[in-house]
Amino acid sequence: MQRRTFLTTVGVGATAGLAGCLVGDDDDDGNGVDDTGNGEDDDVDSDITVGIIYSTGGLGDESFNDMAFAGIEQAEEDFGISYQNAEPDEPADMNDMQRQFASDEDIDLVCCIGFDHETDLEENAAEYDDQRFALVDAVVEADNVANYTFREHEGSFQAGHLAGLLSTMDYAHGAGETDTDEARVGFVGGEEIALIERFEAGYIAGAQHADDGIETPSAYAGSWNDPSTGQEIATGMYDDGADVVFHAAGGTGGGVFEAAQSAGRFAIGVDDDQSISADEFSDVIVASMVKRVDTAVYESIEAVVNDEFEGGMNDLGLEDEGVGATIGQDFEGDLPEEVVDALEDSRQAIIDGEIDVPDNLDDL
Amino acid sequence: MTDDSGSIRERGSAALDRLVDATAAERITISLASLVFAIIVGAVLVFVSGFVADCADPFIYLPGLGYGCYNPLEVYWTMLTGSFGSMTVIGQTLLQTTLLLFTGLSVAVAFRAGLFNIGTQGQMVLGALATALVVLELAAYVPDNAIGMVIVLSTGVIVGAIVGGFWGMIPGLMKAYANAHEVITTIMLNFVAIGIAFWLVQVHVGDLTTDSVQTETVPAVARFPATISGSRFSVIALIGALLVAAGIYLLYTRTVIGYDLRTSGIQETAAEYGGVNAKRNIVTSMTLSGVLGGIAGAIYVMMVQYRWQAGIPPLGFDGIAVSILAGNNPVGVIPAALLFGSLKTGSVAVDLSLGVPGELVEVLRGLIILFIAMPEFFRMIGKRFGYGNGSVATDGGEAQ
Repeated sequence: MQRRTFLTTVGVGATAGLAGCLVGDDDDDGNGVDDTGNGEDDDVDSDITVGIIYSTGGLGDESFNDMAFAGIEQAEEDFGISYQNAEPDEPADMNDMQRQFASDEDIDLVCCIGFDHETDLEENAAEYDDQRFALVDAVVEADNVANYTFREHEGSFQAGHLAGLLSTMDYAHGAGETDTDEARVGFVGGEEIALIERFEAGYIAGAQHADDGIETPSAYAGSWNDPSTGQEIATGMYDDGADVVFHAAGGTGGGVFEAAQSAGRFAIGVDDDQSISADEFSDVIVASMVKRVDTAVYESIEAVVNDEFEGGMNDLGLEDEGVGATIGQDFEGDLPEEVVDALEDSRQAIIDGEIDVPDNLDDL
Repeated sequence: MTDDSGSIRERGSAALDRLVDATAAERITISLASLVFAIIVGAVLVFVSGFVADCADPFIYLPGLGYGCYNPLEVYWTMLTGSFGSMTVIGQTLLQTTLLLFTGLSVAVAFRAGLFNIGTQGQMVLGALATALVVLELAAYVPDNAIGMVIVLSTGVIVGAIVGGFWGMIPGLMKAYANAHEVITTIMLNFVAIGIAFWLVQVHVGDLTTDSVQTETVPAVARFPATISGSRFSVIALIGALLVAAGIYLLYTRTVIGYDLRTSGIQETAAEYGGVNAKRNIVTSMTLSGVLGGIAGAIYVMMVQYRWQAGIPPLGFDGIAVSILAGNNPVGVIPAALLFGSLKTGSVAVDLSLGVPGELVEVLRGLIILFIAMPEFFRMIGKRFGYGNGSVATDGGEAQ
């Protein structure tokens, strides 16, 4: 039953995403369509048009792509920009979409969401050197590409620290409670790639920061969209005594939350505040490792609007609030004070450089 | 009641007779009329969906109904200009057409021999990967000029053909010697092919510096020279595809081998009786089908993507529709591939420049294909069950 409700919400999310895409109809496409749209925003009405190409997960994923879309919507509200969405079915579609947007004279900025854009953008950024690009989650070194990467390991360290602290104490709230017999926290990844190993490394380091002897089992589902495998893995971890499981697995994570509810333990979400976006699980989602893709998109547009766009690296970490552990909505204000204080201490220590967070498993 | 159903049956039979006996000119007229009907039905659908959707600047207001978001005329116009409106988009349309020609021919070749090859996608994926790996190696040893390009490109195509052919041969062998139905085996081998390729690239032969599952990008010497600026389309590949279509047409209509291939699939026992090794011909047909699928993969790598990346578009499956639309005629595959290619490019334009959701555009595409393919489909069925004045069994399935 719970699984069914989860799927329904995903469906609603997808519809919402779709509706947004319709609203995003281009205002100045010169087809004689009367512009009744953005009339309200007359205080700051920029004539900037942004073309945004998502990753293959597409809109309605309740995390990565929807975050990017939220950034665009915010920019539309604040600056009155217009935008065009493009959702590739396959990575193979990305090249064409980049080129179409890049060659379109009405478009002032092309936002490319996700690492699959990297190889094509290397060539297209060089070919369309008078177009401006923003790239999220990968790096193309060119003057006309603003790259936005995240120090996911820093945010994951916070998630791990929280998980570790909870695992070593008696804590019960919402639908979960910890099992104090052993200190054990789990990690579930999507595909086993360097990006996700960064989450894993930070998470394990954070857990060990809370307790040296903690057990940190981790496993990969091999897919971003396989909740049943996610549930299987997480259930195994909870059965072995894990108190908290953190997922960095996109749609697969839904299964981790299911498992947490069945086992009466806790889980940590990823990318956006999943206690809100997947709120039927808010009683077990103690926190989420948020990755502010929306900030990245918003900032790149803001730079273009203010005519301050420049290419280069933007590596967003805890200090820039590009990543961070956001406490779940049901747990806000309920966590023991010493946990909140310890988290704040480690956050400050990372920003000050006192804690060096590993960004790969070899440096653990 | 019985009278009624009897007369419906008779009318159905008469219609099938009529369809089967239709001349080429009549068939073309039917196809064009179907196209018009599909456009009208699609327009109504788009118009109506516009009232359900929300948008910032609706194009029409109807009292009692509310605001309509989508202008069907605008959608079709964008589709047309998006596929033929400029040299660049014509290039994109022809690029898709070239690939669909190869996958369509791959399916058609098997069909002509009475075999249903669903495995073109897998043959294409493996052919593409083999081509990418070989040309990446080979490019280092050849001069960076036209001669080097000829060597690399032709080697790439041959490698793709060999690997695709090998992958097509497997279900052929299983069909001929183990009586395993090719529909099942080819579908399953698609998964095996995609799984093998993914694993190889992710763990062994791929570009491990990126998070994407892909090989390194092939150098300029391994890319078909672009004919139209702004598109990667190369007319060389298109000419090659057209020659292959003509060659296959001649093979099946003018040569003994072609006749044997066809009869072996359709009437195995009759062929054996006539002194033909039917089993070997089944294997040959499937291998030839695989070869064409593999070439599609090779062209894909060297003209479109310039690398192998997981998630190759479903061109192999589109090939099935192209082939059916063409009535499995190698020459008919040419306009069918062009139609599919232009619909594909046109729908990208609609998706990008109008607020119409991609799913609705897919429905429009589907309608056009369905309407045009249905008369041909019924014609094939009618022919199979002996309607019309010509008889199937005696002509070796010639005009199927």
